Amino acid sequence: MGKPIFITGAGIVSAIGLNKQEVLSSLLAGKSGIADVRYLDTEHREFPVGEVKLTNEQMIQMLDIKPDAVTTRTSLMGMLAMKEALDDANLTREDIHRAAFVSGTTVGGMDKTEHYYLDFINNDKKNKYIVVHDCGTCSEMICDYFGDFAFVTSVSTACSSAANAIIRGAAMIRAGLFDIAVVGGSECLTKFHLNGFNSLKILDTELCRPFDETRSGLNLGEGAAYLVLESYDSMRRRNVKPLSVLAGYGNVCDAYHQTASSPEGEGPYLAMKEALEDAGLNVSDIDYINAHGTATPNNDLTESMALKRLFSDRIPPVSSTKAFTGHTTSATGSIEAVICILAIRNQFLPVNLNWKNQMENGITPVTDLHPDKPVTNVLCNSFGFGGNDSSLLLCSSEIYDKE
Amino acid sequence: MTRNSFYIKSTAQISIQQPLCEDWMENPIWYDSNYVRSLEPDYKQYIPPMEARRMTRIMKRSLTTSNVAIKKSGLVLPDAIITGTGWGCMDNTEQFLEILCNEGEQLLKPTLFIQSTHNTISSHIAINTCNNGYNITYSHRCVSFDMALFDAYLQYKFGKIDSALVGSHDEVTPTSFVLLKKMGLVGCDDEICGEASVSTVLSSTPSDAHSAVAAIRIIYKPSVSEIHSTVNQLLADAEMCTEDISAVMVGISGNKTTDNLYYDIVDNCFRDKTILHYKHVFGECFSASAFGFYAADCCLKHGYIPDFLYVDKSQGMIGTPKTILLINHSDGKTFSFILLRSV
Repeated sequence: MGKPIFITGAGIVSAIGLNKQEVLSSLLAGKSGIADVRYLDTEHREFPVGEVKLTNEQMIQMLDIKPDAVTTRTSLMGMLAMKEALDDANLTREDIHRAAFVSGTTVGGMDKTEHYYLDFINNDKKNKYIVVHDCGTCSEMICDYFGDFAFVTSVSTACSSAANAIIRGAAMIRAGLFDIAVVGGSECLTKFHLNGFNSLKILDTELCRPFDETRSGLNLGEGAAYLVLESYDSMRRRNVKPLSVLAGYGNVCDAYHQTASSPEGEGPYLAMKEALEDAGLNVSDIDYINAHGTATPNNDLTESMALKRLFSDRIPPVSSTKAFTGHTTSATGSIEAVICILAIRNQFLPVNLNWKNQMENGITPVTDLHPDKPVTNVLCNSFGFGGNDSSLLLCSSEIYDKE
Repeated sequence: MTRNSFYIKSTAQISIQQPLCEDWMENPIWYDSNYVRSLEPDYKQYIPPMEARRMTRIMKRSLTTSNVAIKKSGLVLPDAIITGTGWGCMDNTEQFLEILCNEGEQLLKPTLFIQSTHNTISSHIAINTCNNGYNITYSHRCVSFDMALFDAYLQYKFGKIDSALVGSHDEVTPTSFVLLKKMGLVGCDDEICGEASVSTVLSSTPSDAHSAVAAIRIIYKPSVSEIHSTVNQLLADAEMCTEDISAVMVGISGNKTTDNLYYDIVDNCFRDKTILHYKHVFGECFSASAFGFYAADCCLKHGYIPDFLYVDKSQGMIGTPKTILLINHSDGKTFSFILLRSV
C-alpha cells in the first residue's frame, strides 16, 4: 500500500467547458461537446469531434502571449488548463521552483508539423515550428509560461499518457523527491491522428455510443487537464485544502497486441486490481468507475470482461464520459480524473450519454446521475495502444477536511 | 537493506559501431561523413524473418537489443519495461506525413500509424516478451534515456520493483537528419550523427554484475549554485565524495554551442577530474546519452578506459576506474547526473 497523495488544484479545458465550473454544468445538464468539425483543417467533415471551442488566436489572447511567439495548439490548451490548476492550489513562483512537472502527450507539435512539413524539408530557411515538433518541447512550453520548475519530464504512452504522468508525479512525491508535482496531459486534434484512427476504421460518423450494443467506433476530442499533487506535510505547511485524494494507481501492460485488447481484458483487469491494492481498498469500496469506454467494439467488450472479472456480480456504477468530451487521447487520463473529482465533490454520477441498447456480455452503464450511496472512492481507467493500461484511484478528501 | 545500488546485469547496443558486441573498445570505427546509419546485425538470429519483414529499423533494433540484454541477464521477466525515445518511430511518421501532405487524406495506411507512436517500442517489447509489468515511455528530447533510467532507479530504491529493462531508441532517417541539422541539434560543426538503440537490464541482485547505478539526480534550468548543490546531493545519495569519482563522462559532441555547457560544469565542479567523452565514437541523437551509460559500464566492467575516450590524455590516464559520473544536458535546460560504480 502506498501513501495517499493530495490533489490541491485541478484545471481543465475540453469540448464541454474551459474550466471546472463549465465542465460540471455540462456534465449535470447532460450536454455533449461533440459536434461537426469547426477548427481542424481536415477533409474528413463526416466525423463528429469534441473540439475545444476556441481558436489558437483566442487562446493566445486569453494567455496574453505575444502573437508572433512560437506556440502549438497542444501547448496553448495546456497553459489554459494549468493556469486554473495553479490558481486553485495557490502556488507561488517559489513553490513552482521546487516542484516537478510531468506532462503526457503524443502529438506534441504535430499540428504545426503537418501544416509546415513540406516547408520543413524543402525550405533552406529554418521554419520556426521545426523545434516544437517533439513531446519534450511541448511540456517545456507549457510549464515555462508559469516559471522555472525544478524538474520537467514528458510521458508518451498514447491514450494513457496523462494517467501515467499522474502516476509518475505521485511516485516522486511518495519517494520524497518533491513535495509538489503538477501533472496531467494535453493533446490537440491533428489530421495525423484523425487519419490514423480513420485508417484503423474505428471512428464513428455518428455520435459515439460507449457500451451500447450498436456502438461502432469513437469520436475524437481534444483538451488538457492538470492536477496539483502534493504531500500531506506540504499541504499543511501551505495551509491549503485538498480537492481530492489520489489513493492509489496501477500501471501494467496488456502485452497482447498493438491496437487490440486481450479478449479477457487482462491489462484493464490488472491495472484496476493494482490500483485497489495500492490504495488498500476492496472491490466493495468502489462507488463509481469512469471507464476508458471509447465506444469501439473491442475496448468496451474487453473492459466489460475485466470489470466482471474483478467485481463479479457486484459491479459499481460505471460510465464512459467520452460521449461528452470525445476521446481526448493523451489527455484523457487527466481530463477524466478531473471529471471524477467533480463527481466526488458534487456527489453525482456522470452519465453515459447515448446509451440505449444493452450490449451482449457488456456492463450496464450509468444513465441516472443520482447516486444510491455516497460517491467516495472512484476508479478512473485509461488504456493506450500497445496495451499501456493504467488506472487511478481517487477518493473524497472529506476525512481530511475535518482535521 | 539499503537499495542504493541498482546492479547492471547486461547491456546491448546497435549503433554506428559493431553491433551487439564490445569491439569498439579495441577497434572503434571512425567516420569521415557526419551522417551515418547504424550497422545492422543479422536479425535472422534474433527475430523470425516473417515478423522482421513487417518491422521498421527502430523496431528491429529495439527488440533485438532488448532480447539480447534480457538473455544475457538471465532475467526472463523484468518487473518493468521503461523506454526513452526523443522522436519515436520517425520512419513511419515521415511516410505517413508525406502521404498526408502530398496526396491528401484518403490513402493513409493503418500500419504506418500503428507503428508511429512513441510507445510502440516499449509495448512491442512487452508483447514480444509476454511481460504484463509496469510499462512506460519517456519522450523528452536529449534526456529521454536519463528519464527512463531515473524512473527505474527511483522505483527500485523505494522497493516498488526489483528489476527493470531500460532502453532508449532513436532512428535518424535521411529526412530527420535534415531537420535535426536545421534545428542545430545533430550534425553541426564537427559533430557526427549516430542512431541509437541501447538496452540494459538492472537488478537488485549483485551476482554476475560488474557495475551498478549508485545515484541519479536530474534538474531543470539550474543556476550555477544549483548545479553545485545537485552534485553534492548526488554524492551524498551514494555516500561518496568528489575524490571517489574516477572520471567524469560528458556528452560533448563537436557542437560548439552545446559543448560549452559541459565545459562550464567541468570548470566549475570538476576541474581536477579526468574527463571522458563518447559521442565522437557513437554519434549524436536524442538517445545518445544511453551510449554514455553503455560506454561507462563497459569501462567499469572491463576495468580500463580506452585511450580514445579521454578528452585530454595529458591530464593523466587512470588505471582501473571505480566510479564514473555521467553528465548530460538537453538544450542547456535539463541537466542529468548519473553515478555508476564498479562492484
